[in-house]
Amino acid sequence: MSYKNKNLEELNKKIGNLENKNNEVMSNKKETGAGFGFKISTEIIAALVVGVGIGLIVDNYFNTKPIGLIIFFIFGALAGFLNVYRVMRRIEKQR
Amino acid sequence: MAAKDSPLKQFEINPISNIELGGYNISFTNSSLAMLITVLVITLFLTLTVNTRSIIPSRMQLISELMYNFIAQLLSDTVGDNGKRYFPFVFSLFMFVLIGNMVGMIPYQFTFTSHIIVTFALAAVVFIGVTILGFINHGIKFFTFFYIPGVPFYMHPLLIPIEVISYLSRPISLSVRLFANMLAGHTLLKVFAGFVVSMPFFTGVFPLAFIVALTGLEILIAFLQAYVFAILTCLYINDAYHLH
Repeated sequence: MSYKNKNLEELNKKIGNLENKNNEVMSNKKETGAGFGFKISTEIIAALVVGVGIGLIVDNYFNTKPIGLIIFFIFGALAGFLNVYRVMRRIEKQR
Repeated sequence: MAAKDSPLKQFEINPISNIELGGYNISFTNSSLAMLITVLVITLFLTLTVNTRSIIPSRMQLISELMYNFIAQLLSDTVGDNGKRYFPFVFSLFMFVLIGNMVGMIPYQFTFTSHIIVTFALAAVVFIGVTILGFINHGIKFFTFFYIPGVPFYMHPLLIPIEVISYLSRPISLSVRLFANMLAGHTLLKVFAGFVVSMPFFTGVFPLAFIVALTGLEILIAFLQAYVFAILTCLYINDAYHLH
């Protein structure tokens, strides 16, 4: 690129610098590690809470003390993994 | 350290006027006041800034239009043409959470999003609404949402409960994320504010500088969490339209 006018050249440089800065800001805006970990952990915990809750209700209702809790705890944990998998897939898609 | 200096003191609910109706305590509390302020701020801001309706917008009108476009774009990106119908709902939800978080950033102000019951109520509205929407759109076929095609038949007794639990965990993860972020942020601010007073000589300047940086981060988180709440609502509405 060769500009006859020196002012134009300077302006071009300025615009280039600003654009670079903008790109840097955009890349900085990407999630922090803590935020990412937080997102993942809430997904697992939420599924576990639901699983344990259902297990306790089932045990209360059918009088099958530990069995319902055990089964639904495992289901809850698996659902947590499923949630994490879905979140990861969504993040991968965004990239 | 007495309990009155605790960093968790800011989350206490104090009734402003005691009201009891039919055995239920429905007092007007500082939390209600914060919500009222939030709704007033949103209403006044949006009506006052766009009532001139100039073609060349003023700065304030530009902010309102920016917010409108932001949510409209979000809805059309995630849900598509069907999404326009839900714009008022998602927009009010987004604005309520966003301005609620921002009002909470003002010193001495109460942050109502730092209470799980508030965020859970919001998430429950979304969850129940989306479930009803799914039944309206697909009728009884909505249950096929939990059925994954292309899986050996003997896996279904295992997979369907997992899918159901995963679906039921949505409102919990939605509410816990917002609540925990606000709670952690505000507690951290208070803890470091305590360091400013208790550290000897002039060394209190360092935590003070840290608080300034942390306040900036908190404002970013306040916006980010409102955005996450809105985008997840959009995704759930999308799920109610397109099973799988």
